[in-house]
Amino acid sequence: MAAVAATAAPKGNGGGGGRAGPSEGSGTRRKKGPGPLATAYLVIYNVVMTAGWLVIAVGLVRAYLAKGSYHSLYYSIEKPLKFFQTGALLEILHCAIGIVPSSVVLTSFQVMSRVFLIWAVTHSVKEVQTEDSVLLFVTAWTITEIIRYSFYTFSLLNHLPYLIKWARYTLFIVLYPMGVSGELLTIYAALPFVRQAGLYSISLPNKYNFSFDYYAFLILIMISYIPLFPQLYFHMIHQRRKVLCHTEEHKKFE
Amino acid sequence: MVEILDAKTREKLCFLDKVEPQATIAEIKNLFTKTHPQWYPARQSLRLDPKGKSLKDEDVLQKLPVGTTATLYFRDLGAQISWVTVFLTEYAGPLFIYLLFYFRVPFIYGHKYDFTSSRHSVVHLACICHSFHYVKRLLETLFVHRFSHGTMPLRNIFKNCTYYWGFAAWMAYYINHPLYTPPTYGAQQVKLALAIFVICQLGNFSIHMALRDLRPAGSKTRKIPYPTKNPFTWLFLLVSCPNYTYEVGSWIGFAIMTQCLPVALFSLVGFTQMTIWAKGKHRSYLKEFRDYPPLRMPIVPFLL
Repeated sequence: MAAVAATAAPKGNGGGGGRAGPSEGSGTRRKKGPGPLATAYLVIYNVVMTAGWLVIAVGLVRAYLAKGSYHSLYYSIEKPLKFFQTGALLEILHCAIGIVPSSVVLTSFQVMSRVFLIWAVTHSVKEVQTEDSVLLFVTAWTITEIIRYSFYTFSLLNHLPYLIKWARYTLFIVLYPMGVSGELLTIYAALPFVRQAGLYSISLPNKYNFSFDYYAFLILIMISYIPLFPQLYFHMIHQRRKVLCHTEEHKKFE
Repeated sequence: MVEILDAKTREKLCFLDKVEPQATIAEIKNLFTKTHPQWYPARQSLRLDPKGKSLKDEDVLQKLPVGTTATLYFRDLGAQISWVTVFLTEYAGPLFIYLLFYFRVPFIYGHKYDFTSSRHSVVHLACICHSFHYVKRLLETLFVHRFSHGTMPLRNIFKNCTYYWGFAAWMAYYINHPLYTPPTYGAQQVKLALAIFVICQLGNFSIHMALRDLRPAGSKTRKIPYPTKNPFTWLFLLVSCPNYTYEVGSWIGFAIMTQCLPVALFSLVGFTQMTIWAKGKHRSYLKEFRDYPPLRMPIVPFLL
């Protein structure tokens, strides 16, 4: 879901600027974009994030070459992954203060689901860190984010190469299912260890008369992918048709 | 003359040629229903502009900026359900559901607990308070409230019932659990909590009565509410929606009484929603009335 949702991010990170950017979501055009100071900040933010995810990409490749296998590559990029993915929480703030015309709720959902997978699953359940499913979603996220943040950077500077736009609206077709599979497999792998350790769980009796079963919670999360993933996926397919076909028509009239 | 077009397709849906200039939108809606019986008046939204605001039922045709032929755009609001029905359903649920847990009906707790009773007095008190709260709400829905809108979209009943019934079940599960732990500060805590609860319930009821008296039966007039002789209504001096203030207070009281985290969470969620409603109401009061008392805050005196 985290993989799916982040690519579906509507106008996130100032992708509209002052001009008619690719209309996502309801296709509304914002007449006023962020001011010059906000735009400068957002360009810096998006450049830094692009660089960060490139670092992760390079880290994965180097580790693969050094080790000769693709197993347990998580450890070689653990720190930048945590840093840059958690840093994305700023995007919620961007929406809240209005410098990015996206919904706070949607952005929160997207970023929180990513942060949840990083910290509450992968970091918390050490035994899954060697699973191949982790590499699956990290790879999907890395490629997605590099494209997404460069997309926003170029949009803010009003110089969006068609290739980036194409990549953003096409590669998701493979990256989404890839990311979702990685996420689900990782959560599934974590289950027995959560059960065994009683991780993040509290049982009765206690003085706040409350109980929480993290194992059951994780299962609910996995189930929630069933209605959510198709919706987000088909939304992106719909967006793709709108954005890429619209550009085609524009090109015809040039 | 009035012609009605579909707001999305601009298709001509209806042509009414014998409409008097003093006719209201409500009357026009009734005429429209005759030719399209599946669109009863409650689900019609008529507007002057396809993307504009809905016209009100009380608006009079000749007072609208239209020529000899008025063009109205129609939007289907979807299946509607009356507010009374929604309220009764959403409040009857928690009343009934809580009692299922209180009486420890089979399949909730272990079989050895079926139909047993808690040995903690606070658990019985909590059941009385919770039940009283929802009985009060049901009676107010039937006899006190005067609704400005008759209906709301049908999907709201599913959303609202999930919320009320879900939280009721969640709270009731813990309070009536065989492993329930009574409040840390014992009888003192329960007494204080009960006092808060009772005061806020009386307060909430007083506000509902005061609001009802503001509006004559069958009308949809709106006036600024002011404190009356009833001391509970003096909260109007400080907030626009003291009914919400008292409601949050009641649930805080209930949370302290039961010392149950799910109750506290329910209070928090309720508070968030009521704050949104209070801010909206406060804003419309300010827009509608130039002389609105400046000291008032939406829901929390001086703060929010």
